[in-house]
Amino acid sequence: MKKKLIQNESRRSVIKGIGATSLLAAGGWGFPAIAQNTPIKVGILAPRAGIAGTIGECGLRGAMFAVEKINKTGGIGGRKVELIVEEETNAKDTTERFRKLVLQDKVDCVQGIVSSGVSLAMSPTVEEMKALTIYWDGTSQDGVKETIPTPKYLFRSTDNECEAVMASLLAIKYYKGKFATIAGINPDYSYGRNNWAAFQALLKRFGIPHKVVAEQWPKVGTMDLSSNIAALKAAKPDLIFSSLLFADLPVFMQNAHAAGLANGDIKYVMPAAGFQQTLMKKEFTPEGMVFGLNTLDFNYPNASPLQKEFVQFYYSKYKDYPNWEADRAYFAMQIYKAGTEKAIKTKGGAWPKTEEIIAGIEGIEVQSLGGPGRMRGDHIAEQTFYQGLTTHKNKYDFVTTNPVDKKFSSELQKPPGMDFWQWIETAKITL
Amino acid sequence: MTAFIDIVLSGIFHAAVLFLLAGGLQLVFGVQKIVNLSCGAFYALGAYFGITFVNLALQQGISSSYLLALILLAGIIIGLVGPLIERLLCLVYQREEGFQLLLTFAIMLVLEDLIRMLWGATPMTLGNISMVYGKLNFASTTIPVYKALVIGSSIFLALALGWMLQRTNFGRIVRATAENRRMSEALGVNGVWINVAIFTLGTMLGTIGGALVVPTSAASLDMISEVVVEAFAVVVIGGLGSMRGALVGALIVGLLRAFAVYAYAELELLLIYLIVILVLIIKPSGLYGKAAE
Amino acid sequence: MTIKFKLLIVFCLALLCSTPWILSPYYMTLLLPAVAYSIILLGFNLLFGYTGLLSFGHAMYVALGAYTVAILTSRVGIKSMEVNILAAALVCFLISIPIGLLCVRYVRIFFGMLTLAFGMLFHSILFKFYDLSGGDSGIKVIRPSLLGFDLSEIDKTSFLIGPFFYYSIAVMLILALVMWRIVHSPLGLHLQSIRDNPRKAEYLGIKVHRFRLIAFVISAIYGGIGGALLVVPVGLADPELAYWTQSGNIVFMTIFGGFNNFFGPIIGAFAFIGLKDQIVSQTQYWRLVLGIVLILLVVFLPGGIMGLFSGKKSVAPAQEER
Repeated sequence: MKKKLIQNESRRSVIKGIGATSLLAAGGWGFPAIAQNTPIKVGILAPRAGIAGTIGECGLRGAMFAVEKINKTGGIGGRKVELIVEEETNAKDTTERFRKLVLQDKVDCVQGIVSSGVSLAMSPTVEEMKALTIYWDGTSQDGVKETIPTPKYLFRSTDNECEAVMASLLAIKYYKGKFATIAGINPDYSYGRNNWAAFQALLKRFGIPHKVVAEQWPKVGTMDLSSNIAALKAAKPDLIFSSLLFADLPVFMQNAHAAGLANGDIKYVMPAAGFQQTLMKKEFTPEGMVFGLNTLDFNYPNASPLQKEFVQFYYSKYKDYPNWEADRAYFAMQIYKAGTEKAIKTKGGAWPKTEEIIAGIEGIEVQSLGGPGRMRGDHIAEQTFYQGLTTHKNKYDFVTTNPVDKKFSSELQKPPGMDFWQWIETAKITL
Repeated sequence: MTAFIDIVLSGIFHAAVLFLLAGGLQLVFGVQKIVNLSCGAFYALGAYFGITFVNLALQQGISSSYLLALILLAGIIIGLVGPLIERLLCLVYQREEGFQLLLTFAIMLVLEDLIRMLWGATPMTLGNISMVYGKLNFASTTIPVYKALVIGSSIFLALALGWMLQRTNFGRIVRATAENRRMSEALGVNGVWINVAIFTLGTMLGTIGGALVVPTSAASLDMISEVVVEAFAVVVIGGLGSMRGALVGALIVGLLRAFAVYAYAELELLLIYLIVILVLIIKPSGLYGKAAE
Repeated sequence: MTIKFKLLIVFCLALLCSTPWILSPYYMTLLLPAVAYSIILLGFNLLFGYTGLLSFGHAMYVALGAYTVAILTSRVGIKSMEVNILAAALVCFLISIPIGLLCVRYVRIFFGMLTLAFGMLFHSILFKFYDLSGGDSGIKVIRPSLLGFDLSEIDKTSFLIGPFFYYSIAVMLILALVMWRIVHSPLGLHLQSIRDNPRKAEYLGIKVHRFRLIAFVISAIYGGIGGALLVVPVGLADPELAYWTQSGNIVFMTIFGGFNNFFGPIIGAFAFIGLKDQIVSQTQYWRLVLGIVLILLVVFLPGGIMGLFSGKKSVAPAQEER
């Protein structure tokens, strides 16, 4: 951001201006005397159609809420925020829209991305184009090491496997000694595979004896799961682990219930079920299931006023309850705001360069919708995770969680520089 | 043994729904020689509208035991968009098949966004309402009565279609037009009427299929492009233009997929494509289709 | 070809080459897929416009080319773009032969459906065999060296807008010239006669299947080379490149530009990508708008953009350029 040059101004006005600036700077305002009235442009990349359309939609709503709030309180460093929304589709097209946001629209920051595949694909481009980018989601363990070893301009979300680790820990905590055979039904792509592998690795790590009696890998988004369920039924597992997370999840639950698999005999562990929480109706979703709500449990009894405000706003506007993607979007916007304002302060009021904003974001701590979060120095986020056992005792027609366990992601994801699988085996992990 | 029956039942259920979708394709192709790439959009329309319709009815106080009737009605009602689409399609009847295919592709794009405009991006379900009819004990296992009813409806529709095609005057005219359009028009058949009727019927089969499946499934946006591939597999295996082929093809695809999921989980869909290619190598026109060249 | 026409082509080329000074960086990066798709569509139109076969699985060869480059640059370590292009062409050549042998026995709708089936089979393979193909995450593409020059010191955008842009144009030119020769050769005439009346062609002694196969393989090779160029700006080869709706887009673009004309596909690639970019920037319901555009195109303007200029609807391309 270049300041407007003073042209043809008399010396007195210049001196006056300098005086004013120093006054403002001294007042800690950080507001340059030559007014920066231009809005800050933030580009958003979110899916709007297809299988992840609902996730992107929720995230977008979270981002809009964040921006509205920020603009109401004066914007970031006095400048209002403007969103430019583009659709996340496949790797090639999304990279092109990213280029448009950076080269054509000249946005100050890009936020978004839900799909693991696209997030990995775009990362080299982000770094090469030196464009400050904050991912909402995505990035499983595969390929992370090769594509983004040390990101500079890119800020990543918490590892996708956080929910798998937490779910596994809760499963061990609540079900230890109550199961001998396990089965998995996971979507057939990197996310599903890593979740299942993480679960087994943790069981091994804690010395829980287990025998895998069935492994189902339905194609992502398959709606007809009756044959998969038949296979699970025949295998007679004590515990079923499922990281299904799209529309196939409630379909699975409903049909599993109809097939007699949800009458309480089988323990369920579902790290990503929160995406479809409002579709997990009580009629077919059993109680006592390990249910993952990621970084937002809209029904959390001790929720912050911020979260309560958001949930109320979301319900009155959209007649629905938000899932954690809204929190991820809000978090991204918050760390950008906080990081930028910290950089402004460091610079004494002038508008900071991108690299300075990046330095400001590193290590920053913010309050997100779901709870406190921060951004590590290695550009991986830390957030608060919620998972619990399902219960029918609520006023809705779908399940909520009670008790709810809360863990900060520092307990759930690998520390800087370490390999995920190594970390599982060696780290000090508490239940 | 229980597992075996479970798998067969799930395969038959899947086949029942696939048959409706593929049957619609076959009907339209047989008579109008058009392959409808937008069939997935009609399937999704049936699913989404089915949910809206049933919810509306329940709000009005209609008992949920009427579920099947409501679903069938919903499928039929939304299938009435058929004539509108047909009037658009008729503009390219005289053109090469490439253009017809492309037009149906365009219709799919349009419908996809229209569905998103109307119902949004969030998937929708009917909850557990399909269990209103309870479960049925069958051999050593149980099956939700609703699923049995769906299979039954599909069989009923298959029989009704067969009866219509074989026994009624209308059916005779349809078959004649499929055989030789010019001749039947020369003999006084109103081609336009036949086109509208057949296309609407074909569309309706698709929307009914989508509506029937949604109580035990969900309506989501990616249905549109996904289901096309399976429907095409059925049609290729069964032979283009043959209703019997749609039935047999659907059974093959449904049952094979069910068994593959159980026995060779890794293969699943891959198996279907391989079967398609195998059939095409051994008997290119499909099991019941006419020769390609 | 008239002198006037030749001058027009030279002018267009000159305009294209001077775009780095005219257009903004973003639109420059948009030109890259346009050039890559021009190559893909030139090949596709050999099969569609000249031979009369509509393939709905052509995206498969684009993906094959893309994955070849990805595997060679990131897994095997071969950075030379020339080697990568040749490899992509070779892979498509080898794979298209058995598929072609099977498919060209059929015409029209059966051909379309068979090609769709093979395309989706490939898509499934890419997804399922994730150890080989990277699954849904795909395989990375490392920046290749052009003509032996390792240009990794330049930042990506400048690389793409500068050296890579001209490189792509050069490849497109060469391939266009080759295609021109093919189309105006006896082979080209054979293909058109097969398209217009296969029975008569057979009667005249032309081995219909063999010539269709040749067209199929050539179109696959072009698809692979285009895919190789397409994937370098993205930096990743992923399975979605092979999804059947991508094949649909290829057909859309070709018809948009005009399949009756040699230059139609090239015009179509540029026009479509430019149009889609504008529409996507304006509305989130761009599928609706594109669908309507396609409907209007098919119903009112089947000759595409070039059809507008020539004023004729179904004239054989060879005759037009005389």
